[in-house]
Amino acid sequence: MPSSQRPGSCMIDASSIQHARRLVLDRLHGRTQLPELIGLETPLDLVHSLLDRTISSQEGNTALLIGPRGSGKSAIVERVLNMLAEKHTDRADSRRYHIVRLNGFVHTNDRIALRDIATQLLIEQDLGDVLVGSFADAFTYILNLLRSSGADGEMPPVIFILEEFDLLAQHPKQSLLYTLFDIAQSQQTPIAVLGVSARIDVIDLLEKRVKSRFSHRQIYVQNTANLEDFEGIARTALRINCADEKLSAAFSNEFNHQVDNVLADEQVSAYISDVFDFGKDVRQLLRTFVLAVSHLSIRSPFIVVSDVLAAIARERSSAKMLVLSNISLLELCLIIAMRSLVKGGNTKYNFEMIYNEYKSFMSRHITAATSGGSMKIYKKSVALKAFETLVGLEIVRPATITISSASNSRNDLLAGSVQGTRAPKEYRMVQLMLEPGQVSDLVGERAGVPVVIRRWSQQ
Amino acid sequence: MDVDALGRRLRKQFPGRDGELDLLLSLLGEPEDPSPPGIFVYGPSATGKSTIVRELFAQYDPAGQQYALVNCVECFTSRLLFERVLNAWAGHVPNRENKYANVAKSDTSVDFVAHARTMLKGRRGTHYIVLDQAERLRDRGPMLLTVLLRLSELTGAQVSVVMISNVVWDKFRPRHGGAVDPIQVYFSYYTKQHVLEILASDCPDDEPREFFLTFVDAVYEVFHRNCVDLSELRHLVALLYPKFVQPVFEGQATRNEFARLFKLCQPYFVAATDKLYLREISTSEWQRNSVKASAKTNPDDITNSIYGMAEVGDGLDLPYYTKFLLISAYLASYNPSRLDVQFFSRGKGNASKRRRHKTSADDSLGSSNRQQLLGPKSFGIERMLAIFYSIIAEPVDSSVDVQTQMASLITLRLLTKVSAGDRLDSINCKCNVSLETIRAVARSVRFEIDRFLHDFS
Repeated sequence: MPSSQRPGSCMIDASSIQHARRLVLDRLHGRTQLPELIGLETPLDLVHSLLDRTISSQEGNTALLIGPRGSGKSAIVERVLNMLAEKHTDRADSRRYHIVRLNGFVHTNDRIALRDIATQLLIEQDLGDVLVGSFADAFTYILNLLRSSGADGEMPPVIFILEEFDLLAQHPKQSLLYTLFDIAQSQQTPIAVLGVSARIDVIDLLEKRVKSRFSHRQIYVQNTANLEDFEGIARTALRINCADEKLSAAFSNEFNHQVDNVLADEQVSAYISDVFDFGKDVRQLLRTFVLAVSHLSIRSPFIVVSDVLAAIARERSSAKMLVLSNISLLELCLIIAMRSLVKGGNTKYNFEMIYNEYKSFMSRHITAATSGGSMKIYKKSVALKAFETLVGLEIVRPATITISSASNSRNDLLAGSVQGTRAPKEYRMVQLMLEPGQVSDLVGERAGVPVVIRRWSQQ
Repeated sequence: MDVDALGRRLRKQFPGRDGELDLLLSLLGEPEDPSPPGIFVYGPSATGKSTIVRELFAQYDPAGQQYALVNCVECFTSRLLFERVLNAWAGHVPNRENKYANVAKSDTSVDFVAHARTMLKGRRGTHYIVLDQAERLRDRGPMLLTVLLRLSELTGAQVSVVMISNVVWDKFRPRHGGAVDPIQVYFSYYTKQHVLEILASDCPDDEPREFFLTFVDAVYEVFHRNCVDLSELRHLVALLYPKFVQPVFEGQATRNEFARLFKLCQPYFVAATDKLYLREISTSEWQRNSVKASAKTNPDDITNSIYGMAEVGDGLDLPYYTKFLLISAYLASYNPSRLDVQFFSRGKGNASKRRRHKTSADDSLGSSNRQQLLGPKSFGIERMLAIFYSIIAEPVDSSVDVQTQMASLITLRLLTKVSAGDRLDSINCKCNVSLETIRAVARSVRFEIDRFLHDFS
């Protein structure tokens, strides 16, 4: 909407749009924090006061921050660390405390974790000989190094943030957790250990000796409780601050006004309530707006409802059906053949059965199909190639996968026999990864399917 | 950098991909703009995913230090992947001078995160990792995908991961749920019009474009019913077109006589399409041999010559008794053992009674569970030997070492051993040969195998 058409609207220049676009996109991509955390005040205060006590009064503290994925645990941690950084800048030396962040995804065993702790504490000494001994010894050694490097021989406080705590707890012997909790419990060293996890039963993963050293302080983060708050998160993410000096007040007001308009739209709010009902997933909600925001430009400086609706339509469409929407007729026939095998009571089937089903149907109906025109029965080898395309799309998957070997055997229908004992690929049992209803939809939505095949799919 | 101009250029270069290009470019934005932590590009094969993403980044970042292109088939361990990414970001190319060394050694994801953190500190703009054939990443341990999708969080720098795959995201989502879903970009199928537009660029320089396109149109109509893959279509067009225009140069028809040209080309279409499509004839073989067959000659000759090309030469050139061994293995694999007496006993006395027994069996012809469809089942070696001695007409010369022949059949993978490798007695095997092959083998020793097969069609 060009500014000239809007009476009383502000001056719009490219740089302010770019600024607004970057500002909002950063939030939507989760690269910066939302200006305020809605509904998370209580856990935020708890975590803040806990960590703050470690820094200001040298307490040793341990706590667990537990809550479902996407509920704002990491946001709380980030916010608290920012607050601490602000609060303690006025201290004599710029940083009187250290932060060590470990993540269960990355630090897959205690040795790796220990090495990274040393790096994060800025110890440059070669630790090759130290790491040979027990974990506790090595860790104490690191802490002593840190103490001696401190200004007055006093130990600076260290904050440990352990993300994916449940994965860290699955390390053998839990020596990392044991050592950390043990030191936090003893009075000499001021360290705070904050475990972050999505598993509610995470405390049961701890060994007895580890559990007994843990303070049992658990801070729970809940998903957003009501729809208003949930919508409020989206609103906070999308609105820009009117006090932002890089933007004119008129522009910010207009921008926010348009955001309100979009959120008030009937379909958009229906979508928001759907997301709320299905999973309360904030990240999914924010992802929907990414597209609309990235379209902001000098030509369309504000969020448009139609862009958001297009993004919603994309979120709602099924990726699997899109990929299958235009497969070749032969592949479609194979899928229908598999469905009719399922209806015949087979739970598993191989290519030979599918081809047999296809062939017997086609030979029964091909003469009757005057409208079908150029339909013909394809040779087995051609059909096998079409079948392999389906396997490649993972629409058809090997039926005998045990969970332990799932990652290795995922594609071995294509890879050929791993061991000599496997059957030739025509005979390996497979399953169709589609519901019968989806098959009918697939045929129904497609133009140019011969009548016979359409009828076959409806049987 | 002018993103709009880049978009225009790419749209011209890749017909029919406007929507996809717009979406990708608006997600990337200007180099300094924030970008999503993950972009998932998916769609059926041969829709231009890899080509377009590669070209897009090559033009988006000509210096090539902001993005790393990694093919996950090539980089089959996480270490290779990590080191490749770091090399690309550092602009480092392993060569003779630096003794093919990498920028940094990173065995684990911790090393990678640490190196990336130091490398990207202070650098501007988003850094991309483009992962082609990303479905392979799922086999590299459960954490890799999650680590990659959380790289920005872990390194504290702006990192974006672009994944390209033809498998949908639902099949990627890690079980522990730690990965944030990426933004999905779907590459749709080309419409017929776009297929023609793309293939028009394949038109030989000295051929009229319209004429070529009419031919492509015809091939498309025939072919798209069993395969919609654009590269397969290009393969066929490239090989068949010379045959199609040949009559024009030989003076049999003019370019206006389309119907006649098609009629002359018909034998190639019928006989060669499947063979070429299935790669039973290699491209070079086709080009070499199809010159011999010209449309002037009898259509049957052409058909024969094409089939002649596809003939693999009798792959099973086995000794006489070994052929019988293979046949008996096939029979043992596919016939139920309870019918062995009926098929192979020499005494004809109770034959009629046993026949009746057969018809009452529930696995009669037409059931979807008959052995022909289920594939070979395992059998004891003793049973196979019994059948072997029964079907062979004359008594076997004792010098024929049946055991040695069996061992060589197993080596050739015509038989597969299913019992444990260290067992010396009561070995179980399966016959690994298709019906067509065994028919050919049986024919070569004049053995009527169809008479002995139960419940086959």
